[in-house]
Amino acid sequence: MKNTYLYIFCFSLLSLGSCSLDTEPLTQLTDTNFYKTTDDAYTALVGCYDGLQVATGASGLGVPVISEVMSDDCFGGTGNSDGFNYAAIDEFDITRSPSDVDLLNGNWIGYYKALYRCNVFLSKMDQIDWKGNTTLRKTYESETKFIRAYLYFEMVRLWGNIPLLTEPSSENVPQANPDEVYKVIAQDLVFASDNLPATAYNATTGGRITKWAAKSLLGRVYLYYTGYYGKTDLVGVVTKAQALGHLENVIASSGHGLVDDFSTLWPAASVDKYAGESNKENVFAIKYTYTSDYNGNTDGNHWLVMFGMREFSSYPYGRGWGITVNSKLWNVYAANDTRRVATVIGIDEEKIAFDKKNSQREYTGYYNKKYTPMVDKDGKDLPLTMGSQFWDISQFQDYVVLRYADVLLMAAELGSGNAQAYFDEVRKRAYKANFTTLPVNADNILKERHLEFALEGVRYWDLLRQGIGTASSTIAETTTLLNGGVPGTKTITAAKIQATKGLQQIPNTQITLSNGVLKQNAGW
Amino acid sequence: MKSKYCMKTTMSSFCTALLFSLFMIQSGFAQAQSRSVSGNVISTVDGMGIPGASVAVQGTKIGTTTDFDGNYKIEAKSGDVLVFTFIGFKSQKITVGSQQSINVKLEEETSELKEVVVIGYGSQKRTLVTNAVTQVSGENLTKTNTTNALQALQGQAAGLQVTSTSGQPGEGLNVVIRGAGSTSGTSPLYVVDGILTGDISYLNNSDIESISVLKDAASAAIYGSQASNGVILVTTKKGKRGAGGQMTFDQYYGVQSVARKVDLLNATEYGVMLNEAAVNSGKNPYFTNDQIAALGSGTNWMDHMLTDNAATKNFSFGASGGSDTSVYSTSLSYLGQEGVVGGKDLSNYERYNFRFNSEHKLYKDVVTLGENLSFAYIDKNGIGVGNQYNNSLRSAFQATPLLPMFDADGNYYDTTSDNEPWLAGAANPYAMMVYNNQNESNNQKLLGNVYLQIEPIKNLTFRTTLGLDYYAGEGHSYSPVYQLSIYANSAFDKVNQNMNKGKTITWDNLLSYKFDAAENHHFETMLGTSSINYDGTSISATNADVIFDDLEHAWLNNTTNKDGAKMSMTGLKQETKRMSYFGRLNYNYKETYLLNATFRMDGSSIFSKENQWGYFPSVSGGWIASNEEFLKDSNVINFLKLRASWGQVGNQNARAFQYLSTIKSNNTNYIFGDTEGVLTPGAYPDRLSNLDLKWETSEQIDFGFDARFLNNALSVTFDYYNKKSKDWLILAPILATAGADAPFINGGDVVNEGVELSLSYQNKIGDFSYNISANGAYNKNTVGKIPNADGIIHGLSNELYDNAGEFYRAQNGFPLGYFWGYKTGGVFQNQDQINNYKSASGVVLQPNAAPGDIIYQNVNGDDKIDASDKTEIGKPNPDFTFGFSLSANYKAFDFSLMANGVAGNQIVQSYRNQAGAYGNYTSAILDRWHGEGSSNTVPRVTEDNRNFTQFSDLYIQDGDFLRISTVTLGFDLAKMKQSKPFFASQFRVYFSVLNLYTFTKYDGMDPEIGFGSSNDDQKFSSGVDVGYYPRPRTFMMGLNVKL
Repeated sequence: MKNTYLYIFCFSLLSLGSCSLDTEPLTQLTDTNFYKTTDDAYTALVGCYDGLQVATGASGLGVPVISEVMSDDCFGGTGNSDGFNYAAIDEFDITRSPSDVDLLNGNWIGYYKALYRCNVFLSKMDQIDWKGNTTLRKTYESETKFIRAYLYFEMVRLWGNIPLLTEPSSENVPQANPDEVYKVIAQDLVFASDNLPATAYNATTGGRITKWAAKSLLGRVYLYYTGYYGKTDLVGVVTKAQALGHLENVIASSGHGLVDDFSTLWPAASVDKYAGESNKENVFAIKYTYTSDYNGNTDGNHWLVMFGMREFSSYPYGRGWGITVNSKLWNVYAANDTRRVATVIGIDEEKIAFDKKNSQREYTGYYNKKYTPMVDKDGKDLPLTMGSQFWDISQFQDYVVLRYADVLLMAAELGSGNAQAYFDEVRKRAYKANFTTLPVNADNILKERHLEFALEGVRYWDLLRQGIGTASSTIAETTTLLNGGVPGTKTITAAKIQATKGLQQIPNTQITLSNGVLKQNAGW
Repeated sequence: MKSKYCMKTTMSSFCTALLFSLFMIQSGFAQAQSRSVSGNVISTVDGMGIPGASVAVQGTKIGTTTDFDGNYKIEAKSGDVLVFTFIGFKSQKITVGSQQSINVKLEEETSELKEVVVIGYGSQKRTLVTNAVTQVSGENLTKTNTTNALQALQGQAAGLQVTSTSGQPGEGLNVVIRGAGSTSGTSPLYVVDGILTGDISYLNNSDIESISVLKDAASAAIYGSQASNGVILVTTKKGKRGAGGQMTFDQYYGVQSVARKVDLLNATEYGVMLNEAAVNSGKNPYFTNDQIAALGSGTNWMDHMLTDNAATKNFSFGASGGSDTSVYSTSLSYLGQEGVVGGKDLSNYERYNFRFNSEHKLYKDVVTLGENLSFAYIDKNGIGVGNQYNNSLRSAFQATPLLPMFDADGNYYDTTSDNEPWLAGAANPYAMMVYNNQNESNNQKLLGNVYLQIEPIKNLTFRTTLGLDYYAGEGHSYSPVYQLSIYANSAFDKVNQNMNKGKTITWDNLLSYKFDAAENHHFETMLGTSSINYDGTSISATNADVIFDDLEHAWLNNTTNKDGAKMSMTGLKQETKRMSYFGRLNYNYKETYLLNATFRMDGSSIFSKENQWGYFPSVSGGWIASNEEFLKDSNVINFLKLRASWGQVGNQNARAFQYLSTIKSNNTNYIFGDTEGVLTPGAYPDRLSNLDLKWETSEQIDFGFDARFLNNALSVTFDYYNKKSKDWLILAPILATAGADAPFINGGDVVNEGVELSLSYQNKIGDFSYNISANGAYNKNTVGKIPNADGIIHGLSNELYDNAGEFYRAQNGFPLGYFWGYKTGGVFQNQDQINNYKSASGVVLQPNAAPGDIIYQNVNGDDKIDASDKTEIGKPNPDFTFGFSLSANYKAFDFSLMANGVAGNQIVQSYRNQAGAYGNYTSAILDRWHGEGSSNTVPRVTEDNRNFTQFSDLYIQDGDFLRISTVTLGFDLAKMKQSKPFFASQFRVYFSVLNLYTFTKYDGMDPEIGFGSSNDDQKFSSGVDVGYYPRPRTFMMGLNVKL
């Protein structure tokens, strides 16, 4: 057995090669080393704002865009050889583009990703060392809940029937009763209204969610829910009087007010006179900037380009993909209403030498002026002048969700004692010297809202909350539009709108992934 | 190895026990009384005595060698078995009876019997191999004159499919062994001189001694977790013991041109098509007949993009030799290849290789030490060859011929101020290629090992090997300010500079022992450990506003921009660790009944502690029937071996740390305040974790035989295999409500089943000798068990043209990566046909169609044509792959021809962006419908491209081809009858044509299309032609000198 020692020697040599397998990610945070300090908390909060920005600005189809396409103010338009997805949305008719079974899948994914950020952050509140600063905690919690409420509100308006998650889950969650969703929205907004500091808007960093934003959004949610679903209060959480109270509080204490000249709210309508992104009328906006690229940065307004004139720039208006504005909108304004030329680009009216009718589908001669890409005097796209390389995805115009004018008109609609004064304040700004008084009533308020908020992504929901009957009959239309320069008949039928209840298609990919737990909306 | 990481595991004690139990078998042989036996050993060839032949008493240490005349004398007793062996001869065994003298005649071995095959962690006599292993000699690789070994392997081994991902010099190749088995790629494991590495394209063909392709699981299982896609073992050239020194010089020079250009419409044809599309879209035509006639031929963009006579050249110098104790082999080589698209400035590859291998025996051969070292320096630049947005050639396919190359001042034509619809927005594709591909990069790879082997007692060896795979690379690029159209412009210039480096250190320890347990029972055992540690770093930065405007000065120090939005930078480090234990047992009885078993356990740091280890067993057996009595003297069958094997191997191609949930902080920002571009950083959890992630496993059975007939002139190898790859590491789509990116999960499988056949015939008629060999493989692949509800891993959209939908998938019951779209049924000829095209219940299926539009088949039989009618309309993986070669020698002349091909696959061809009305077409559109009865295959043209915006079989073509890849005629001056001794043993000049001709019905430039998808997680996609850099045809002259 003298060789035994040799064998043992050899084996010990073999075992020398044994090494541990311990490694860790060297350039990546993990959830085991995050959500600890107040710095982490702020970073996570910014992550939630980013989620909101990506979900509403860079995912799927722009909701402000499709809100306009669904309304009576815009047509699907776009390129003459493009697919017909915008037409399907415009006409509430999937047979216009039968293969588009995933029209809004990008939006759906973007929303749930943003919600996941909020839900994870809310679930980590207790493990963060706040160093006794409960105000800070409540502020961050309120902002996060506002973002969650805003996302759910957009989703539940759009689809009606959506899975509701208030904490992270990988389970196959079925669609919730809309009431449950509205309850979470209402509770989150009430929490934010109660817990955000009562600081004047101009003492808060621009873009941060304020108490006033929460209260104003609550008013919008109240009006939409009670209107569309025919209820008398907001799922038992907020009464009409409470909703009005919040709005009156904004009017009394926020420091917000109307800018003098309506056109200065819109960069393309006022150019050098633009009132700026933090003007006093801006109650809540989702902010975008020009740093989007194709390497993962998604800070830009990716949908703005849809509203631009098809492939054509004319100072100050930039090129885009050509969602067209219904000529009826131009005609609904009185000639002395300053809002008309601030809202709509009229190709003939402004003598624009537009020569891309060949590429434009559903040409009407009108485009959106409130939201349009812009160029400088040399015809250079503004994002490029800022240093971006991407004129299309790096548009940086913020989306103004709520203006003070809206607060005034909502308060009037909810029966404020000052209803006539609020109503007149908005109309006086619009008509200037030509102002003549009009009695405040529900009908007049809704008509005024159309003129005031046209092309801002508000109109469709204002129609829908008057009931699907009113909405469908207002939107339905048969007209003649130019497709690639060739006249064609455009028909939007009320029956199709009614069949869908005004709701959108649930993405088929999600339905199949859920193995049928998710159900498609009627009419799709 | 740092000692702090090292620890002893329980594994080694287990292995000790195992080996000892084997050792026990040999004990207990009693010694008995001996006497002297003598005799001589002669060769059957010439009847002369063989000096130095070994004579041994089997099972003992008694042995001697023959003297100069072949005589020997040895102590043995009756019943002992004497074993006579000599290199190059068949060994013989004779049992000692009562005789004093035993004379032996040794038969010379045929070359096949001598041949040794390189297998994992060792080598084996070819006759004893029980697995599906194909070995290709370096000589056969060099013959192809290709730039790298993978391309040289094309068509040389049955069941090995090699496809270029691009014809650009230095681009990668797709290598598939026995069918695509995973969604995470098919790339096999490469092992160079025992060192595991990810790629062998850095090697020069002339440095390669041989390549072994381990195809079945049983041969690959010794590499465990790395081997599920098969293993390619490369051995570089070594010196030969006792051989004198030899120097070699090889050189070639060739010119390359594109073999077949795609036929695009000229300006006149294009004008006709534009008019027709306008009329079909309800408009007036753009041109009058006179105007069309005046358009002429316009700009031929393909001619501008492609370069003729691009050079390719190679020089290599080698030397090798050895004494009785030391051998060495060294080489130095240069290879340069210019691209045929854009020429040398835009597309070029140059490589310098250095190799030094040596081995030394010390202390009477007890200690062997040596090293293998190779270094490659690669200079490379190239154009975009990726998806539709990163493909420089693609834009030339669709650029209008009405766009001029230059303006009146000789600058690239800028369409910004043009209003003609076909010019507005169009950009000069040649200028785009020049502007966007100003880059150069170089990288270095050092791969080598140092080993020490001790053999303290005969047949017991311990070998320790320290290996290094080191790479470093750097690159920079310049993108200038330019204006070509309203879309193609760049407002500021930019410089990118990047560097990366990394190393893998391997430490292998092997203990092996050979012994005979009893008469005719031969064992070879091996135990080993291997530890592999990788770490690598990379950094890349981009900045703008350069003070020079050329590539030469494109370095970050020359940039002046201070604006954050125009800058970007990344930098990261990664590490992974692996630890493995493995063993092998080879057993044979009389070299006739063969058994081979291996086992490997692998641990990897990329999985969680609980799932870190994987276990990979294999077993195989063989029976050499021709050794049996009933075949032994057969004149027909010279050799016949039947084989069977089973094994499991793994795949760990998941990204690391999937068991942790990561927090994403890059690209996560929000803007507060009014100053555009000022960002506040945020973070969020972006990916779900999966603690349960484990190895992907591939299980394979293989039955085969090796046979030789007709006096060993014809050899045949046949294999049947069934390979099931399961528990894929996949990113299966999850419900959006989960809120984060999907983690890698285990799920899905694919079964590849097929047969392989290789034939080789050699013969000699006087001075004329020739060899014909052919191989072919059939493979069928079926996906199953994808674990999400719809059983589909969806492909990407936007791959073929703007707004294109999904067109390839991995789906249960279908071939991996099959093409998913509408089946068409011809073209509507008139309105009646449209009105009568109804579903079973009488609903008109395409009410909006017009005559000339394509007919979509109503596959599911319902009342509408929609996505549910999309179905399998093709597949990228061929049913058959094959290759053949023919070589012949007559006196000083030699000739060879090689060919390879595939059959049964389809290609998706998409050159035109269907989002626009004015892109150019290939001449295939000339067959379009333009009036009743004019065409039933190609639909009418319209400005909205309505017949092409849905993915249908209009995009699909058969991908079958047979390529004559190399034809060579050589003449060796050294073989001429010389009046006085010639200075060289070989002085061969040759003329060669690469890619001489391709037989195919595919109408693109090249049917060999490896490109698939731009998503790295979807490597199962291939056969997608969105503008393919073709492989050139090369004419070359070369010289081989051996001194």
